[in-house]
This record gives sequence, C-alpha cells and structure tokens, in this order.
Amino acid sequence: MPQDMPPSGGYEPVQYRRNLPVRGFRPAYYLAAVGLIMTYGFYRYGQGIREQNELAREKMWSRIYLIPLLQAEEDRDLVRKTLAGRAMEKELLGAETKVYNSDRFVRPTYAVTPANVTK
Amino acid sequence: MSARQPRFNQHLLIDTTPLPDSIPKVQEVGSSSAPLLSASYFIGARCKAYNDDYMQCKTEANGKGEMDCLREGRKVTRCAGSVLEDVNKSCLEEFRKHWECLDNNNQQLWQCRKWERPLNSCVFEKLNLEKKIPGAPENETPVHLRKRQIFAHSIMTQ
Repeated sequence: MPQDMPPSGGYEPVQYRRNLPVRGFRPAYYLAAVGLIMTYGFYRYGQGIREQNELAREKMWSRIYLIPLLQAEEDRDLVRKTLAGRAMEKELLGAETKVYNSDRFVRPTYAVTPANVTK
Repeated sequence: MSARQPRFNQHLLIDTTPLPDSIPKVQEVGSSSAPLLSASYFIGARCKAYNDDYMQCKTEANGKGEMDCLREGRKVTRCAGSVLEDVNKSCLEEFRKHWECLDNNNQQLWQCRKWERPLNSCVFEKLNLEKKIPGAPENETPVHLRKRQIFAHSIMTQ
C-alpha cells in the first residue's frame, strides 16, 4: 500500500553552518571614491561661482554705462520742476523766498499741488 | 538729490510746465529697459568721453550738479541717442531679437547669448563698436564669448 516515504536516496544535507561572506571593497577605496566625488562637486561649484562673478561684473558694467544717460534725463526733469515751482512762486507770491543760506540745490520738503487738477 | 520723491497716494499729479526756452532742447531717449540694456555696452564704447565728463562735472559740482551740468547732460543724451539711432538703422532685426529675448528673460544677459552674438558681430562690422567688459581677468575668455553658459535655462538659447 503506498505510504508517504522520503524520496529514494534521501534528502540533501541541511546547511547548518553559518555563511556570512565579507563583501565590499576596502574602506580606503570607499573613502577615496567619496573624496573624488566631493572634489569634483566642489570644482564644478567653484566654476559656477566664478561664472556668476563674471556675469555680475557684466551686469554692473552695463548699468554703469547707462547711469549718465538716465541721470541726465532725471536732472532735466528736476530742473524743469524747480524752475516751474519758482515761476509759480513768483507769480503767486511775488518774490522768491530762500529757505537755506547756501546756493546748493535741496529738494524741497513740501510740494505744491494745484487746487484744480487738469492732468 | 538728498530727499526722496514725493509720493502722492491719492492721485498721480503731473506738472506739465515745459523747460524754459533759455535751456536748449534735446531729443530725449524714450527707450525702455530691454533695448537700453542691449545697447548699453555700445553706448559705453562710443560715449565714454561724454559720460566721464558728465560724471566728473557732477562730482565736482558739489550739490549744484543738476543746474550746472545740464550741458554735459545734453551731450550724453545726444551721444546715446545717436548710438541707438545707428543701431536701429543698421542692425534692426538682430537688435530687436536680442531685446525681445531680454524682455522675456528678466533682463538676464546670459539667457540670450544666441541672439547677442549676431548683434555684436553686426554692430562691430557696421558701426565699429565692440563690447568689452573692463576688469575681467585676462587669462579667461570673457563671459559673453564663452561657448557654454552654465546658468542658461536651455541649451537652445546659448
């Protein structure tokens, strides 16, 4: 009558000894790899910083070249407003009052706004 | 200019009185920021003498610069206006492409090198104005001539 018997020839031997192989490179190699990757990273970072400095220099010089043009325009505007204010003062009050004792231009603290605004 | 501009918060008030006739009129450069930035190095190349004169006049005027340096200011405006006019006459398409690119890219010059190169070569041929960055270290290529821009967004615009 068929019975549940082990296979003929028996089972294979059971592994009971430990099998923990030591893997990995030498730690020095790992440290060297980390060092190389970091050096490369810092080198690229430094390149980027240098390029950013050059770009900043380019931006600054372009602004430096434009300053006289913009300042001259603003100066003309300022002179126009000052002369218009003086003329208005002369027309309304009759004389020009000097606020300070020197001839230096000082931007006035108060600005006159007209009663009826056309623009 | 010692104090700040008056700030009217309720309405915008514009004083429309023009300059008196005793001061010569000059054609103002009514340009927005991108074309000015694009042409700034050419303005610097052609107008160096006038710019230096104006800045020296302002420093020496010691507070009265606005009134006393109007003449130098007119020269500066005329020179810059002439540069822009010449660039418009000879290199209009390249110039327009470059400043439109600058407008789209937050006025960052390194995003628009692709359009800056033909503009620079056209202006150099026709107007003999070269873009130079003073103070750049001598032993490297200047940043506007480099093949690869590290910080550009895409490789198409380099």
